[in-house]
Amino acid sequence: MNDYDVLVVGAGIGGMESALKLGDMGYRVLLVEKEASVGGKMILLSKVFPTLDCASCISTPKMAASIHHPNVTTLTYSEVDGIDPLAGGRFHATVKRKARFVNETTCTGCQLCETACTVAVPDQFNADMVARRAAYIAFPQAVPKKAVIERAGSSPCSYTCPAGIQAHGYVSLIRSGEYEKAFQLVLDATPLVGTLGRACYAPCEVECTRGSLDGPLPIRRLKRFVADIHYEKFDGPGVEVPAPNGHRVAIVGSGPAGLTAAWQLARKGYAVKIFESAPKAGGFLRLAIPAYRLPSEVVEQDIANVTALGVEIATSTPVTDLEALHADAYEAVLLATGTPRSTTLGVPGDQLDGVMSGVSFLRAVKLGEGVDLSDKRVVVIGGGNVAMDTARTARRLGARDVTVVYRRSRAEMPAHHVEADDTEQEGVHFVFEAAPVEVLHSGHGATRGLRCDRMEPARPGATGRRHPEPIPGSTFEIACDMVIAAIGMAPDTDGFSAHVAADPSGRLTVDPTTLQSATPWLFAAGDVVSGASDITRATGQGQRAAFMIDHWIQDRNLDGIDGFDLRLSVVDKAQVLARQKAYRLAVPADPSQVLSPAPTDFREVELPMTEAEARRGAGLCLDCGVCSECGECVDACPVDDCIDLRARDETFKVEVGAVVVATGFKLFAADLKPEYGFGTFKNVITGMQMDRLLAPTRPFNTILRPGDGKVPERIAYVLCTGSRDETVGNPLCSRFCCMYSIKQNQLIMGALPVADVTVHYMDIRAPGKRYDEFYEQAKAMGANYVKGRVARITEKENGDLVLRYEDIEHGGGLVEAEYDLVVLAVGVQPNSDAQALFPMGALSTDEFHYVAETNEDTDPGRTSIPGVYVAGAASGAKDIADSILHAGSTVAQVAAYLERTKVPA
Amino acid sequence: MTDKQRRIGVYVCHCGGNISDHVDVDQVVAAAQAEPGVVVARQMMFACSDSGQGEMERDIEEQHLDGLVVASCSPKLHVVTFRGVAKRAGLNPYEYTQVNVREQASWVHTEDAQGTTDKAISLVRAGIARTRLTEPLEPIVVKTTQRTLVVGGGVAGLRAAIGLADIGLGVFLVEREAELGGWVGRFDEMYPTGKNGRALIASLIDEIGRRPSITVFAGAEMVSKAGSFGNYQVGIRVGAASPETLTIEVGSIIVATGFDAYQPEVGEFGYGIDGVVTLPEFKELIEASAGPLSYHGRAVRSVAYVYCVGSRQGDAEPGANAYCSRYCCAATVAASVQLASRDALVHQYHLYRDMRTYGKFELMYTESRKLGSVYLKFADDAPPAVAQDNAGHLTVTMRDLLTGGEELAIPADLVVLVTGMIPCKNDELINVLKLPLGRDGFFNEIHPKLRPVETVVDGVYIAGACQGPKNSSESVASGLAAVTQSAVILKKGFAELDPLVAVVDADACTACGVCLDACPYGAIEMAAVTARPTAVISETGCKGCGGCVPMCPENAIDLRGYTDAQITAMIDGLLEVAVA
Repeated sequence: MNDYDVLVVGAGIGGMESALKLGDMGYRVLLVEKEASVGGKMILLSKVFPTLDCASCISTPKMAASIHHPNVTTLTYSEVDGIDPLAGGRFHATVKRKARFVNETTCTGCQLCETACTVAVPDQFNADMVARRAAYIAFPQAVPKKAVIERAGSSPCSYTCPAGIQAHGYVSLIRSGEYEKAFQLVLDATPLVGTLGRACYAPCEVECTRGSLDGPLPIRRLKRFVADIHYEKFDGPGVEVPAPNGHRVAIVGSGPAGLTAAWQLARKGYAVKIFESAPKAGGFLRLAIPAYRLPSEVVEQDIANVTALGVEIATSTPVTDLEALHADAYEAVLLATGTPRSTTLGVPGDQLDGVMSGVSFLRAVKLGEGVDLSDKRVVVIGGGNVAMDTARTARRLGARDVTVVYRRSRAEMPAHHVEADDTEQEGVHFVFEAAPVEVLHSGHGATRGLRCDRMEPARPGATGRRHPEPIPGSTFEIACDMVIAAIGMAPDTDGFSAHVAADPSGRLTVDPTTLQSATPWLFAAGDVVSGASDITRATGQGQRAAFMIDHWIQDRNLDGIDGFDLRLSVVDKAQVLARQKAYRLAVPADPSQVLSPAPTDFREVELPMTEAEARRGAGLCLDCGVCSECGECVDACPVDDCIDLRARDETFKVEVGAVVVATGFKLFAADLKPEYGFGTFKNVITGMQMDRLLAPTRPFNTILRPGDGKVPERIAYVLCTGSRDETVGNPLCSRFCCMYSIKQNQLIMGALPVADVTVHYMDIRAPGKRYDEFYEQAKAMGANYVKGRVARITEKENGDLVLRYEDIEHGGGLVEAEYDLVVLAVGVQPNSDAQALFPMGALSTDEFHYVAETNEDTDPGRTSIPGVYVAGAASGAKDIADSILHAGSTVAQVAAYLERTKVPA
Repeated sequence: MTDKQRRIGVYVCHCGGNISDHVDVDQVVAAAQAEPGVVVARQMMFACSDSGQGEMERDIEEQHLDGLVVASCSPKLHVVTFRGVAKRAGLNPYEYTQVNVREQASWVHTEDAQGTTDKAISLVRAGIARTRLTEPLEPIVVKTTQRTLVVGGGVAGLRAAIGLADIGLGVFLVEREAELGGWVGRFDEMYPTGKNGRALIASLIDEIGRRPSITVFAGAEMVSKAGSFGNYQVGIRVGAASPETLTIEVGSIIVATGFDAYQPEVGEFGYGIDGVVTLPEFKELIEASAGPLSYHGRAVRSVAYVYCVGSRQGDAEPGANAYCSRYCCAATVAASVQLASRDALVHQYHLYRDMRTYGKFELMYTESRKLGSVYLKFADDAPPAVAQDNAGHLTVTMRDLLTGGEELAIPADLVVLVTGMIPCKNDELINVLKLPLGRDGFFNEIHPKLRPVETVVDGVYIAGACQGPKNSSESVASGLAAVTQSAVILKKGFAELDPLVAVVDADACTACGVCLDACPYGAIEMAAVTARPTAVISETGCKGCGGCVPMCPENAIDLRGYTDAQITAMIDGLLEVAVA
């Protein structure tokens, strides 16, 4: 553990001044700053009063010194998580270095990552007037000039994806027009881009934060969009075939789990062979999901990705002898055989002709075995997705009448509700809360109907899925020619029992993390482990299995394996929505399905998105996690391993002899004065925004009004916005707003000679060395100062603003005047950063929540905790000059404290 | 050393538009590139930024530069910054030249872009010419005396003395008056905490008594100063009856001589009329009594305060105080609250221009209004008038802007002229210390933000209201800031000085003595270092002003860093015709 004499929290002007002076005296200082650069608010300013020095010129030497000073260690993008007093007057501090995801040592500050980044968020260093990227360098004079990638957490869409697809990432790439890169990003997780773009149940869209505004983004269809574009241009994945690594892996089963595992392993150079018992590869993708949802060509295209890397798929090749496979130089074997067995009805008559399972029905159709249901009446039993697929397929095969019988209510159906709705729209009837008791047959053994019982509905509020009970005497019959039972599927694992245990329903027993069985070289993944789930979960399992198999083959040890799940904790959606004051509401993307009440063919029901639709859909993304994990920065960075999205926050403890709290202040949130229209009227800005418009690093390179870019000619200032104002709970004067307004008045008159500047004030407070002279200078330059408060601002259609104010010096009447631009001279609000550093309540504050100076008369900067001092505006509003003096005063006392508590050598 | 051997890097700064808005930086870079000995020439948005500095460091290391030129702002601002760049990259910091193309080009010639650019190019050529002839120099290391002299025993000086002692420095405290305590020692209740000023001073004096490292001279004055940075010999005249002068040795000096109260002329706002008093007089009046106020035996039922007396006078008249005295609004409001809480029935009228109860003092202003004070605003050009009738009653007439310009005649038992602060009369001290004064007559700091307590005289710091109006706690803060600055130079026991000093060629010196008279710092003496006496220049006393150099009839003196050869080369560089 490194020890320091002093911990300085906050590297604004007060903190830097404190740290540098203490360092100059010879004390070892740790300076911790939460933002990515030192400099605080001062570096963001244009010029400073009353000397009109540019803020950069005054700040940058101190900023540079703070990282070059031999006695000062500066950590940016770091937070002090807690400070606890120790015996002897020293302190323990916990410091968190927030992950920058950029190696601070090797980053050259070239900003290529910033240019490549696909995410834009409001730029807090430009007072939110323009956007910055998620990968960014705070501002041109940043110290250190090192990039940071802002990650607020995992975006809900990416976090929730069972297949581990960076949903936010590909959406942001599509937004940037990078369709092939978006396709490749999905490929990083799975080869089944076209498949999942159609047949995934899209939990990402359920989680999409935009859902609570105006509807979720069409995340799944965006994936289909990039898949369609890719497959128009390429056969196969469009990636280089990796060099073989000399290891061989066998995979049993070519469903989504097996294909994904094969893909992942092949990309690492493994020689992979898939053994498939069916005549065609693809498992349920190829043999169960109907073509109107997932055309076979799409599955073939996705499978071609896998085979393009050299993966061999042996169809019609059931595996019976695992031991032989292992002996045949396959170092590991993955079982991904899914759930081919169907649950039978278990009622009299269920063995008759005309009774079959949903899975075998769908398989027969997909294999083109000539199933004809013309004019037949079909009953489908079950409420899952397979039942829906079965019913809709039956309709397409000419069935006159299709009825789905489900023993519970509609709301309890395991099928996705959209699927059920679509099924109903295609003319399928539903009978809920009914269960079969007997399949009825005619004399010749042909099915003629189904006898059912009505089931008692589940009591509302009852927990768990109660087993429905039949209502006595409620039996009824449905006349039909065919009964298809889609009521459950199970693995078929009898042949593997010598190597791996299974539960009574046939599911294999493997370690849930490593997917490794009791036989170390044998792994299992997908539905054969979990029971029937869905293709997306199976895909994720395949990815996990490949990761584990790779590690097992390389290390022969999976104890404590880590690094598969790289998600951060999911972001808080409420915070995402709070990040921007108001969102433009948008019409959600149209699902664009063509459903017929009597479908006759297997053409895809969902239309592809046009490019315009895709761009528009992707453009609605709120960038919940800020960084989308699209990976563009990683590709753009010219330095090897400099950007690492796997980096995580690091926390360490230090012992320090004294603490300086220099946590600064917040600017008043101008929207708390709704009568002034900030946030609603675009041409009402804050003083900080005007300073940014005037600064050398200004966003627009001129002074313009944000609403329409017009150069303003009539500019009004409203002083005391949020200060001296009991209605917002702040009776205090903020000290510097008069002066910064006067400074801006002079700069505006210099930059825009024809502009009129009018300042509405209560009292002009210019009480400092050369301050009043500065005020007189502004008046002499032509700025107009009007005594009286502004009651209300209204906006005209052209964006001009009407100020209603009291003109005290000219009779005191209420007057209205029009302006092009209004600047609200916002003042100071305390932030709670300082109190949060210490155990609850330890650091006293004054009644306005500024850090209390317990003996302001003789010890300015001393706080309620011995050894803890405050510097700058954390103790109350101060201008720059006063903050610097205050820091100087604090430093003298810190040094005295250190000398007093010094342990004799 | 010939030109061809030098490897110089030239960096032209945009200063974020401050320079590049008026100087064509591309042209300047191209011209620099063409100069002999220049191996790198680049432009930068902010040369002083970390990235700019880093780029220079990389160039110095990778290109093996042996000279550095930055064309940016005044050396006052950044010469230390860029010397630091050189040093970190392994280049001797004195191989660096700063060329000022901002204050000397872009800021002063905004009308003629090409002319400004040409001038910048000439300045850069001169800088390169100087750099071709630089030699590595080592800083002069001075052992410092770990003691500080504090001049002034008011609240700032007292607190500074304690602060210095607590950091381990020895302290001499000199107070002109017989008693310590200054203005604060005369007050009881002080705003905003209500603390008793006398008690506060007493406790500080008590603290001083507990610190053996502090020596107090009351009734004493600083009369002379000799020596140089880090080691001053100061003469202190002590003893009122039989004065004697002691000499003490200190490493730094903190000047905390405070302020004087503005004294109105007779007739100024009725001053001189019975019942018209200044703010300090009013404070004494309040403190001399308890309960309702009386003045010369008459009950005071109404008080009128006239603000800004002696402050914010504009600069139309010579000697007028243009500045705001900062403390008086809050002090007056506090006094009115004090009075109102003693006498709920007293009428108080405040005739003001802008109420400057800044920051948390706003609360007192609010309280004062709640307690019944009435505030009336007069126009800058229409000050109130105070008159007395035959019966001796006072009336203040004014036009109140807050009530639509109504003319008011306010009867008052007492009129308080809210007088501000003026600089102390301290001519002897100013002369001894050679401290510059600002236009307002207060001592001037070097820079209000970069070096707020430092003066142009090394090791001499200013604190408290001698620098400009401040209240008690602000004075204390600046006193402690001066402590910090003292500790920065003294705590380590040594300091490093720039080696840019004059040196004498002893062989050429004829000991004529002309240079002794030329030196404004008394840094030259005749000494027999070798066989015969020659001029010897104190490295620590010399400020590098160069005044002696042209005076020497034998050309035996040269200034390190600005040698005759370098100056001549710079002139040649300046005169070189710009290539269009």
